[in-house]
Amino acid sequence: MFSKRMILVALVIVLVAVNIILLTITGKHTQAPSGLGRGVLVIVSPFQKQFTAFFNAIKDTWNQYFFLVATAQENQRLKKALGQSLEQLNRCSETEIANDRLRHMLGFEKVIPRPMIAAQVVGKDPSAWSKTIIVDKGTRDSVRQGVPVVIPEGIVGVVVEASARYSKVLLLTDPNSAVDALVQKTRARGIVKGGGADYCIFDYVLRKHEISVGDMVVSSGLDGVFPKGFRVGRISEIVRQNAGIFQKVSVTPYVDFEILEEVFIISGPAEEDPPGES
Amino acid sequence: MIYGYHLVICLLLIILQTTLLVGGGAVHHYDLLAPFVVYLGVYHLPRGAIPVLVFSGLAMDGISGGVFGVHLTAYLWMYVGVRWAIQFLQVGNVILMPLLVTAGVVFESLVVAFSAVVLASAPWPVESMFPVVSGQVLWGAVTGPFLMLFFIRGQKIVERARKSFYAEKRPLRTP
Repeated sequence: MFSKRMILVALVIVLVAVNIILLTITGKHTQAPSGLGRGVLVIVSPFQKQFTAFFNAIKDTWNQYFFLVATAQENQRLKKALGQSLEQLNRCSETEIANDRLRHMLGFEKVIPRPMIAAQVVGKDPSAWSKTIIVDKGTRDSVRQGVPVVIPEGIVGVVVEASARYSKVLLLTDPNSAVDALVQKTRARGIVKGGGADYCIFDYVLRKHEISVGDMVVSSGLDGVFPKGFRVGRISEIVRQNAGIFQKVSVTPYVDFEILEEVFIISGPAEEDPPGES
Repeated sequence: MIYGYHLVICLLLIILQTTLLVGGGAVHHYDLLAPFVVYLGVYHLPRGAIPVLVFSGLAMDGISGGVFGVHLTAYLWMYVGVRWAIQFLQVGNVILMPLLVTAGVVFESLVVAFSAVVLASAPWPVESMFPVVSGQVLWGAVTGPFLMLFFIRGQKIVERARKSFYAEKRPLRTP
């Protein structure tokens, strides 16, 4: 009734359909099913770590001994920047003391810093369509799924998968990322989502809020993942359409994800004050 | 021994493209395993190729933050396609072999792009597909055939080493 060729074609069509259905199901999750992703991290990441260390050693040798042409100029520039930073730090210290005093007077709870773990980036995403990195700290170091990852410049992303010694971090620029944020100057709130490329989209910012290019965007702390006040990025483009209640805002992250080498993982909930300390 | 060679190559390619070949813009990042899958399709039967394909696919899917299973899917279907194509193509030909490699890169890039644009929970805009895929295909077309030659050359060296190893062992067995 049916030729062999026809059966083969039908089989291929069924297999393709089943394949697409399975991919659609797995596509709805950022984590690999049944710990398969963790298994891969265990096998591949030690090699990545050794290779990265070797490559960094070569790069460091080159940078420290041969590529010194611009170092003197950079030194001058950094000295100047350091002077400005010290002045700013002094002002911040004064403000912090005043802030602590006022919070105490108003009866606010003390802001307790959360513990951070330093981790080294050992691998990056091979695909152009997703933005993740692999770091060399895992569940053994109290890293678990959903904890935030930062560097002094700003927010890096969030841990989406953790094996014993390694973790996968979803970067801020990945379309699956989202951070509840606000504009530091005007306190306009919205959600910063990854734009895929090297920028983010600041969604749900109401048209009535006056914001301008160059304004700093910081985390609001309302998503329960990122602590309040961490730098996200700088507003790089604003489109106010005639219709609609929101404005289209693009944000350039402060973090340069291309040269990311070390990160800090905010490992757990805020530490309680040791007994005896006030 | 050939399994070992394939696994080492596979691991080497994965590590290379997740550590050294990062940065410089997304368009350059075509999957180096695509030419490797074409090589497996041309020179190896399913018995020898499927375990390597499954390992590579799962490894890439585990490291990548994209849709889980998309690399595995792309590799398996690409292998099937290459096996089918070599029934009527003379792949040793100087023109056809690079074409087959390029076709493999095109297929792989399109499958991964399709998954990112259509199947992902937070899909990319469709217009971002063209520059990425075209960049990947261009680089794949230029460098892919050289990678393929490297794999073939490596296989010959491994086979020669295996033959000489057994040739050395055989006289010891004879009484």
